[in-house]
Amino acid sequence: MEKTEESRSIRTDVSGMIVKGFGYLFISLFALCCLLPFLLVLGTSFTSESSIKKHGFNIWPREFSTFAYKIVFENPDLIIGSYIVTLGITIVGTVVGLFIVAMTGYALQRPDFGYRNSISFFIYFTTLFSGGLVPFYLLMTQYLSLRDNYLAVLLPGLLSPFLIIMMKSFVRSIPHAITESAKIDGAGDFTIFLKLILPMTTPALATIGLFIALGYWNEWYNSMLFLSPDMKYRPLQLFLYKVVTSAEYVRNSAAASNVELRDVPLESMKMATAVVATGPVIFFYPFVQRYFIKGITVGAVKG
Amino acid sequence: MSNFKKVSALLIAIMMIISLAACSGSNNGANKGTKNEGGKNEGKGSTNQATDNKGADTSKFVKISHVVLGDKPTNGQFEKVLAEVNKIMKEKINAELEWKWVEWADWQTKYNLLLASGEPIDLINIGTDWLDTWGNAQRGAFMNLNDLLPEYAPQTWNSIPEEDWAESRYNGDIVLIPENDYTQWVNHGFFYRGDWAKEAGITAPIQDWEGIGKYLQYVKDNKEGVVPWDAVASTSIWGGYASSYTDELELPISTGYLPVYTTKSFDEKFTVVSPIFEDTFLRFANQMKEWADKGYWREDVLNNKNDNRASLRAGLSGMDQHHTQTFGGLRVQMDKDQPGSELQMFPFARTGGNNLTELSITHGGTSVGAHSKNPERALMAYDLIRNDKQIYQLISYGLEGVQYEIKDGKRVQPAGYDEVKDSFSANFWGGRVDKFEIPSITTWDQLEETLYAEYDKIKKPYPYGQFVFDKTPVEAELTAITQVTGELGPAITYGKVSDPAKAVEQFRSKLKTAGYDKVLAELQRQMDAYKKLIEG
Repeated sequence: MEKTEESRSIRTDVSGMIVKGFGYLFISLFALCCLLPFLLVLGTSFTSESSIKKHGFNIWPREFSTFAYKIVFENPDLIIGSYIVTLGITIVGTVVGLFIVAMTGYALQRPDFGYRNSISFFIYFTTLFSGGLVPFYLLMTQYLSLRDNYLAVLLPGLLSPFLIIMMKSFVRSIPHAITESAKIDGAGDFTIFLKLILPMTTPALATIGLFIALGYWNEWYNSMLFLSPDMKYRPLQLFLYKVVTSAEYVRNSAAASNVELRDVPLESMKMATAVVATGPVIFFYPFVQRYFIKGITVGAVKG
Repeated sequence: MSNFKKVSALLIAIMMIISLAACSGSNNGANKGTKNEGGKNEGKGSTNQATDNKGADTSKFVKISHVVLGDKPTNGQFEKVLAEVNKIMKEKINAELEWKWVEWADWQTKYNLLLASGEPIDLINIGTDWLDTWGNAQRGAFMNLNDLLPEYAPQTWNSIPEEDWAESRYNGDIVLIPENDYTQWVNHGFFYRGDWAKEAGITAPIQDWEGIGKYLQYVKDNKEGVVPWDAVASTSIWGGYASSYTDELELPISTGYLPVYTTKSFDEKFTVVSPIFEDTFLRFANQMKEWADKGYWREDVLNNKNDNRASLRAGLSGMDQHHTQTFGGLRVQMDKDQPGSELQMFPFARTGGNNLTELSITHGGTSVGAHSKNPERALMAYDLIRNDKQIYQLISYGLEGVQYEIKDGKRVQPAGYDEVKDSFSANFWGGRVDKFEIPSITTWDQLEETLYAEYDKIKKPYPYGQFVFDKTPVEAELTAITQVTGELGPAITYGKVSDPAKAVEQFRSKLKTAGYDKVLAELQRQMDAYKKLIEG
């Protein structure tokens, strides 16, 4: 197809301008609404506690102070270690989890796989019913002996029913004929999966990968349950959560009468914690955003 | 469709198998428990044969785990101190202590899971009023110590009187060792500044809420930029008012934002009543409305997220509200932050003087886990922690010369003490004793001659240490009541209603609708049963 020489914009008439103007205005406002709270967090984290007491939260710090960050980074090796642990778990978990989810999703979509419906139902069933916390805890600690083992954080996040269903619905858009023709050419199942299916599902993989990665990045509950303080390095979110809770505890408690109280800048510290936790994700996000958008619109007509 | 039938049949079969497995699994668990106990009995039997009043056979070296609540210190000081403790432990009973921490991050979940998991725990910190100890005892989490105590923890056994052991029993068996020899006062009151009170012409300690009102008015009129009381509406002071103006006793039953049920008085401690349905509550609502209108706290008190204590310390608030233990530390801090402020406390119970109860002796304590492999040694270790001055002070305060020095009989921080590098805490709240405590310079040194002395004159023993309220019959009603108190309580407490009388009426009728009477009846029924238990 040859492109005809034609101005690419729609004729610049007034109504079009107005529509465009409104669109830009609305989207800018919306973006601002998303951005402001974050700026508030950032600003507050650099504000001195006394100024927060007097004037409340501010986007621009009235009294600049880095004391909150000093406390969060009190033991730099701990926070660096936590970052490494979280990064490790996130990378390993995302790669392995992505592979398993993709395989599961693909296999469950193959019409020549006999038990696909019952297995799908099994997977779906777990989203409705769960054994509850105590059996889960017993399974992890008593039967699998995963206490104080990073696997306790890694394993539960590998397979998520929701992501499998998502993958399934994406694979559905790839004609089964491709698999069949490859089979006729003598390709094995793994070859088909690795050479044909995976390259065709990159948008979905990126999306699901991002979901898994975010899940691991934000994971703190399982770490809290299964990783005791005897481990020196624990995932970042748990570390930061602990910083805040112990600060709150120290400030509110007089029960531990032999704990010398120190001044804890709680409000600004919470904000500093949030900044430390989300910072890297924000830098990382623009690079995968396009896949994200592509993946979310799975099933829509793709150009 | 036959496919579907097959699948569903398969599913049903699988579910049956799973449920069977689950049942047998739990049976296994139970069996395991009994087996363990059998083992224990054998152990006890064998030691009983070899009784020579020295307690257990200590030829085998063992590790004793001790579960505490708190954050594990990361500066290495704790390990150093524990090594010192373990030297003595090894010498005396050929055992070592191992601390296991349940951190403050979601501690409730973790603490209960730890007990539910059946892991072998030797010693564990408990508290009947905040760690669900009776509930855990009911679930069989703790070992019965009836026979073990006299044998393996003789000093502890002999130092605790029978009536205190009585409060440590569940179904007749001792399941915990109470912290009964340690003075703590957690009765609430207002903290006000002595210097401003003097300026206001209040020279004697404030006796009642009118006095407090007078003080607040003075602050309002004369202290520019100060909120008389920078109150935060998330805590109610209604319970405090009730203890000032009635003889009623608080009950260990949570009704959410504010207490609804009390008992009539110390003499009639088994009669459940509610001050909400008495004139007291209306007087309270009126007085709070008056205080709000006079501007004793912020206009937006209901959304105030300030930290009252921080604003008091910054000189921006004239009053704070908490308990005596907090006051002891805050007084010293205030002397530093606001020199000459001479912080005073008006304990709520002062006004009436008939309903100040001591803290429950089982607010802190130690239990032995049901699956402990060495309960005998665990108790021997506990006996040392509680009764050996050297070990006790190591665990409580750390190393002399590093964590503290003693000056004029008080603990002070040594020169060059660095909070980050040298601080130490073991969070041992399971058997502190007054006789080994060294007063700290950070606690007001006149606490004992002032407030404690005053309390000693009017204090009553805590009557509800063994009262375990079974909520199950009225769970729904209690939830509804909690909702009502949370919805209307703050506005009434902080005078943000246009007509107090109307608001009180509305509050009462909503409580009635929520099932107030049913809960009252059930409470009274259980109280009667408790009365039988206590009075025999």
